[in-house]
Amino acid sequence: MATVTPPRTGDAPPRTFPKGTHPSEDDPNVLLEDDYAFYEPIPPYPPRTEREAEFYTLGDGEMFLNMGPQHPSTHGVLRVVLKLDGERVVDIDPVLGYLHRGVEKLVENADYHQTISQVDPLEYISSLFCEWAPVEAYERLLDVEVPRRAEYIRVLSGELNRIASHSLFLGWFALDLGGLTPILWSFIERDEIVEMLAALTGQRMLFNYFRIGGVNGDLNHEFMSRLGDWMSRAVVQIEAGEGLLNENEIFTRRASGLGVVDQATALRLCMTGANLRATGIPFDLRRAHPYSIYPELDFDIPTRTEGDSLARYLLRMEEIKQSLRIIDQCLEKMPDGPIMAKLPRLIRPRPGRAWAAVEGPRGIYGAYAISDGTDQPFRLKIHDPSFIHLQAVGALLPGNLLADTMAIMASLDPVMGGVDK
Amino acid sequence: MDRALARRLEARFGTALHGPARQRHDQTEIRIGAGDVQDTLRALHDEPDLAFTILADLAGVDTGTEMQVVYHLWSATTTDWLRVIAEGLSRDDPRVPSVTFLWPGAEWMERETYDMFGITFEGNRDLRRIYMPPDYTSFPLRKDFYLPDDAARSPGAGVRHVERTHSPVDAAPGVLRQTKA
Repeated sequence: MATVTPPRTGDAPPRTFPKGTHPSEDDPNVLLEDDYAFYEPIPPYPPRTEREAEFYTLGDGEMFLNMGPQHPSTHGVLRVVLKLDGERVVDIDPVLGYLHRGVEKLVENADYHQTISQVDPLEYISSLFCEWAPVEAYERLLDVEVPRRAEYIRVLSGELNRIASHSLFLGWFALDLGGLTPILWSFIERDEIVEMLAALTGQRMLFNYFRIGGVNGDLNHEFMSRLGDWMSRAVVQIEAGEGLLNENEIFTRRASGLGVVDQATALRLCMTGANLRATGIPFDLRRAHPYSIYPELDFDIPTRTEGDSLARYLLRMEEIKQSLRIIDQCLEKMPDGPIMAKLPRLIRPRPGRAWAAVEGPRGIYGAYAISDGTDQPFRLKIHDPSFIHLQAVGALLPGNLLADTMAIMASLDPVMGGVDK
Repeated sequence: MDRALARRLEARFGTALHGPARQRHDQTEIRIGAGDVQDTLRALHDEPDLAFTILADLAGVDTGTEMQVVYHLWSATTTDWLRVIAEGLSRDDPRVPSVTFLWPGAEWMERETYDMFGITFEGNRDLRRIYMPPDYTSFPLRKDFYLPDDAARSPGAGVRHVERTHSPVDAAPGVLRQTKA
C-alpha cells in the first residue's frame, strides 16, 4: 500500500514513520501496518516548538484523538487534537486557520468605508459589534462627532443583536450538552430579531449598517412595529426558553462545576465579557470605560462568583434582561435629528493612531487603526474575544471528561469566524 | 484624557520612555524600546497605583521602516486606555520579549503576530504559525507583501487586474503599466 501523503514544500519533510519510531508502536491495542497510509493527528514534520514537542509526545497509556475540522459540534470549522488518558482529557492542541480570510490585509487594501463590509462576517451572529469597533476607531481618527440619534440607534440595534446572540448561545450550549429542544425554541427568538434587524438594515446577518459618522438608515415603520410587537412578549418567551433549562436537573447538575475558572486565572488568560464576569469581576466596558450613550442609560452589570459553565449560562440570561431594559430606555429617549455626521465621501484622516473597544456579547471587540493620511487605512488590528476564549479552553479542559470538551467550549461561546479572522 | 496618568508614567519610567507620553481622546500612549518591554509591563501590571491587569490587545505593526508591537491595557485606576508601543524593531530580525509570563492569554496573540509579521517573541514557548499552514514561508501583513489584485498599486485608480478587459498588448506602449510598484 502506497502512502497518500501529498508532497509538501518548505521546511516540512513528508511524513514518514520508520519502523520503530511511531509513538503508538508499543501500544498492544493499536494495530499498525507497515506503511501508515491512514490519517494520524501527529503532524508530518518535526516539532517546531518546545510546547509542540511536549504535546506530541505520548505518556504512559495516553492516546491522541482528532476532532474536526468537520465535527458537528465545533461551532464552525475547527480542528482539535485531544490527548486522552482513557476518558480524561490530558491536553488539547487546537488547529486554526480553516476560515482565515486575512481580513486585516483586505482592509488595508480598500478604502475606509469598505472596512465595514469586510469585518461583518467575522462574528456572523453579532456582526454589529464587529462593525462598531472599527467604525468608532475611524471616528476617533477623524475627530468626528456622531449625531445623538445615530448613537441611540446604534445602541438599540446593538442590544437587539446581543439578545439574538445570547439566545443562540442558549440553544447551542444545550445542544452540546445533549438537549435538542432549546435550540428550536431559541431560534424562534433569534429569527424574530434578525427579521426586524433585516427591516432596519436590509440584511439578516451581515448587516453592513454602521457608517463612519452614523448609521445607514433611519428607523422605519416595519422595524418599529415588529419591535413593539416582539417587546410585548419578549420577556415571556425568553423566560419560557430559560425555564426549559433552569428547571432541568440533568442540565444544571451537568453544567455546574464544569470548566471552573477563578478570577486571577481569568484575568491572566485575558478573558473578557460574560466569561470574566462569571468569576465575579464586574468588568463591562459599558460601565468600565463608557462609550456612546451608555452613561445616560440605567442598567446593571450582573456578575456571578462560581466561574463555571452554569454561571456563564445564567449570566448571559441575566444580560438578556438588562438588554431589554436598555432597549426600553432607548425607545423612550430616542432623540430627533440627523443620523449621519457631515463627512466627505472620500475620507482621508490625518496621520495618527486610534483604538476603540466595545462590549459585545462575547467580550470586548477592539480595533486599532493607523492612518497615514491616504484614503486607505495603513493598518487595522481587530481584536476578537472568541480568539481569546478558544485559547482559554486549553486551560479549562485538562482533567475533564472527553464528553465535556464541547460543553466547556460552548459555555465560553467562541465563534470560529471571529477566531480565524 | 487623564493628565495625571501621563505625569505618573513619566515620573515612574523616566528615561525608559522614548519621548513624553502622548494623549488624544481617551488614550494615553507611551513608547519604549524592545529591551524595556518586560520591566515596563511588569511594573504596569504589578504596582498597585498602576494595576493594568487587563491586556485588551496585542498588535504587530509594520511601518515600512521598522516593526512595532503595540499593547493596549486597561486599569481601574484611570479613565484612559493605555497604549504601550515597543518600537524600533529591525525588519530583518524583529525580536521582542514575550509577555506570557504576565498574561498566558497573550500566547495566541503573539503567535498570530509572529504568523503575520515574523516578529519573534522571546520566551513564548509555543511560537508556531497559527493561521497559515506550517510550510508557509512569508509573513502576509508585512508591507512588502502585495496582494495579487492590490488596487492601490494597479494601473488605473481602483481598476483591478481581473476587471481589465484589454490585454496589455492591445494598448499603446506606455499607456498601461504592466507591473506593480
